[in-house]
Amino acid sequence: MPILKYVDLYFKLVSAGIRAQFQYRFAFFMRIIGLITAYSGTAITMWVMLYRFQELGSWSFFEMLFLFAIAILSWGFCIILFFHFRSLDTYIINGTFDRFLVRPINPFFHFMAMRFDVASFGQFIFSILIFIWVSFEINIGWTFGKVLFLFASIIGGILIQGGLLVLISALAFWTTKSEQFYWVAMYPARNLTNYPLVIYPKIVQWFTAFVVPFGFVNYFPAAVILEKETPFFPAYIGYFSPLVGLVFFMIAYWIWMLGLSRYKSTGS
Amino acid sequence: MPIIEVENLRKDFMIAKRETGMMGALRSLVKREYTKKEAVKDISFSIEKGEIIGYIGPNGAGKSTTIKMLTGILVPSDGKVLVNGIVPYENRQKNAKNIGVVFGQRTQLWWDLPTIESFELLKEIYQVSNERYKKNMDTFTEVLGLNEFLNTPVRQLSLGQRMRADIAASLLHDPPILFLDEPTIGLDVVAKEKMRTFIKEINQDRQITVILTTHDMEDIEKLCERMVLIDHGTKMYDGEIALVKERFGKTRTLIVDLEESKQRPPLTGGEIFKEEGSRFWIKFNRDEVSASDLIAQITKTHNIKDLTVEEPEIESIISKIYQEGFQDLPDTVKV
Amino acid sequence: MHQYRMYWAFTRKAFLRSAVYRFDVWSRLGSNLIFLLMWGSIWTALYAGREEAGGVSFEAMLTYIVVSQFLSGINGAGTPLWEIQEKVRTGDIAIELMRPFNVPLRYLFADFGSVAFYIITALLPLYIVLFIFMDLTVPASWLTWVYFIAAAFNGFLIRYCIEMAFGLLSFFLVETGGIEDIFYFAMSLLSGSVIPLWFFPDWLEKIAVYLPFQGIYYIPNAIFIGEIFGGEILFSIGIQLFWVIACFFLLRFVWNRASHKVIVQGG
Repeated sequence: MPILKYVDLYFKLVSAGIRAQFQYRFAFFMRIIGLITAYSGTAITMWVMLYRFQELGSWSFFEMLFLFAIAILSWGFCIILFFHFRSLDTYIINGTFDRFLVRPINPFFHFMAMRFDVASFGQFIFSILIFIWVSFEINIGWTFGKVLFLFASIIGGILIQGGLLVLISALAFWTTKSEQFYWVAMYPARNLTNYPLVIYPKIVQWFTAFVVPFGFVNYFPAAVILEKETPFFPAYIGYFSPLVGLVFFMIAYWIWMLGLSRYKSTGS
Repeated sequence: MPIIEVENLRKDFMIAKRETGMMGALRSLVKREYTKKEAVKDISFSIEKGEIIGYIGPNGAGKSTTIKMLTGILVPSDGKVLVNGIVPYENRQKNAKNIGVVFGQRTQLWWDLPTIESFELLKEIYQVSNERYKKNMDTFTEVLGLNEFLNTPVRQLSLGQRMRADIAASLLHDPPILFLDEPTIGLDVVAKEKMRTFIKEINQDRQITVILTTHDMEDIEKLCERMVLIDHGTKMYDGEIALVKERFGKTRTLIVDLEESKQRPPLTGGEIFKEEGSRFWIKFNRDEVSASDLIAQITKTHNIKDLTVEEPEIESIISKIYQEGFQDLPDTVKV
Repeated sequence: MHQYRMYWAFTRKAFLRSAVYRFDVWSRLGSNLIFLLMWGSIWTALYAGREEAGGVSFEAMLTYIVVSQFLSGINGAGTPLWEIQEKVRTGDIAIELMRPFNVPLRYLFADFGSVAFYIITALLPLYIVLFIFMDLTVPASWLTWVYFIAAAFNGFLIRYCIEMAFGLLSFFLVETGGIEDIFYFAMSLLSGSVIPLWFFPDWLEKIAVYLPFQGIYYIPNAIFIGEIFGGEILFSIGIQLFWVIACFFLLRFVWNRASHKVIVQGG
């Protein structure tokens, strides 16, 4: 099927997904409220933490908020596009995944287009408000270049975290588990990056830079924009964020397809 | 040329062993053992265009594993599969265009959306042309009565409606082959009958080959001329349904209503296994004694008011085969 | 006696069942470690080389976090909230109403089993190693150990009652998403699980001491590192007991309303 046809199909599937979601309006609004509360909770915790200490590894409260907002913004897009990947295990176990395999289109594409979680727009409100607030509190010196870089690194962040969700869902092909991997690995790892990576042991920083490139989601780009020091890493490392995202996502996709062929040889 | 060819098909799975007891539980934290399970051992058959095949067997016999290999969901461990000239697992997407699949227990429709939207999405997914789509929808709407619920969300459909919608959805792209997995499960008698009529119709009108897996022997009896029976991953029988009946359906039941007398009629060759008032149920083996012979015996002492001879249903024949095994099958039938 | 044996059977069954889900054990331990790493690093960075802050030594603070993570491992090993909500939604809990036992108590005893399995096979070995290799403070007197264990157990009961009551809210609300997040936030911040109450702004500390959450982590943690000591220990445990009873009645109230709803409206 030609690419253009796929793009067209994607929008059709996605709009169906959105209409399906709007069937449950109350749940939809509760989710928006829930997401905003959860993030406000983390922000409040940061504030309480710095109430007596002023700074965390040379990062002030507002700098941390900025760091956090970048993570939330790209994560918001990830939820919209990829969050349902984590429950691939359920699809496999109750047999509904086979449905994607009896259709004449790419199963990855089909599965991805199956859901489109609009409720996460709540996150955008949250993170944009924070960007505005932080810009008033500290002098970021926004330039056109910085804004452009922020957008590019958010795309990088989407690809990195989306890639990780894809990787986690691929595990379901081998272990028939994925949701759990999300909660035990990715969820805590995502929490790690809510704080500047500089506070962690060197090995952890290295790991989040080169193995599971969480550092490129928010820490490295934020350090570039806020002109913070990144010990152990060159100052310009943040500029690689979009590229890292692209490569990482491609690897994740490749592993997912590998898992799919394994699924086809072992069943569930 | 057959439309489906399966040769020496095999599929093995690895299954984790479960430990028992407290120590076993602790041990399984570290190490787990696996055993090999042969879901499909060595199955061969071929299906001609336009046939309706009943693919049956008890749970866990390897039915759905075979179907998954035919639809390209599973790659066989060994053996050959050709579906409409295509190897399904090598060319899954192409194969998908040739087949329609209905899983009775799982819908392929979009649960929360009005039914019509699922059809529209499937039209896009299968790239069905506008005119084809319109033509098919017109036919299905008429034959399956879809219009009464096209605007209802799928989750609000009755099971019968949902099955009708599902089967229409699977035929939207005019596949030459249709896989039906339990298409009548959970339906009431009327809905079942409707479903069967429809399957028969599309099979005849469009020359669609149908592979039907079901537990409902009435489906088989009413729809198929041929059945493939598998158990423990091996093919046990492949042939006409009539022949199975012939071989295993030797037992008949004669039901007689007698006038006045409540005394049991004396019989040789038959056995009374149930009685209610003056009605008697007599089981006999057709090879040993004929019905008319029995009737003649009874009329010597009693007056018969009414009588019927019942043939066994395929269901009881199958359960008999499961119980007794296949050793009684003659070589011409056994494969 | 018979009652006791029946509940004990739930405990045993849950213990055995945990073993089957070996992956759960390892994975939960993994995530527990990541969070330990996170909060350990955060507090190391906050102290930034200082020996003490707010009258609490760095060593004591680090111990506070390690103990807190240990306890949160225990508190997270029982039936998770979503599972209870799921059981409410599918009607499984409504069926259990017909059985001859107290449902919240049945789940509590089942939790004892899975928690025991998790402590023995995962938490205890890991944290013993941590205590050996890290510079942490350990209570010198055996009496402090006893108080700590009692306080930790009380904290477990408080958490169980609150969480279970919360889970049963699904009987009345179709969607609890938003409230759930407020609940988790209160549970993590106001319980002092990651920031001890003495580092709170004064007004927030005042709020926190009047809430049950501090009984879950703050009190046992603080007893362990000796920040709560002497007569204060018994007073704190007394407060905990008050909350155990209060939360138990809250749970009973919610449960009675829920079962009433099941009986009258059929779920």
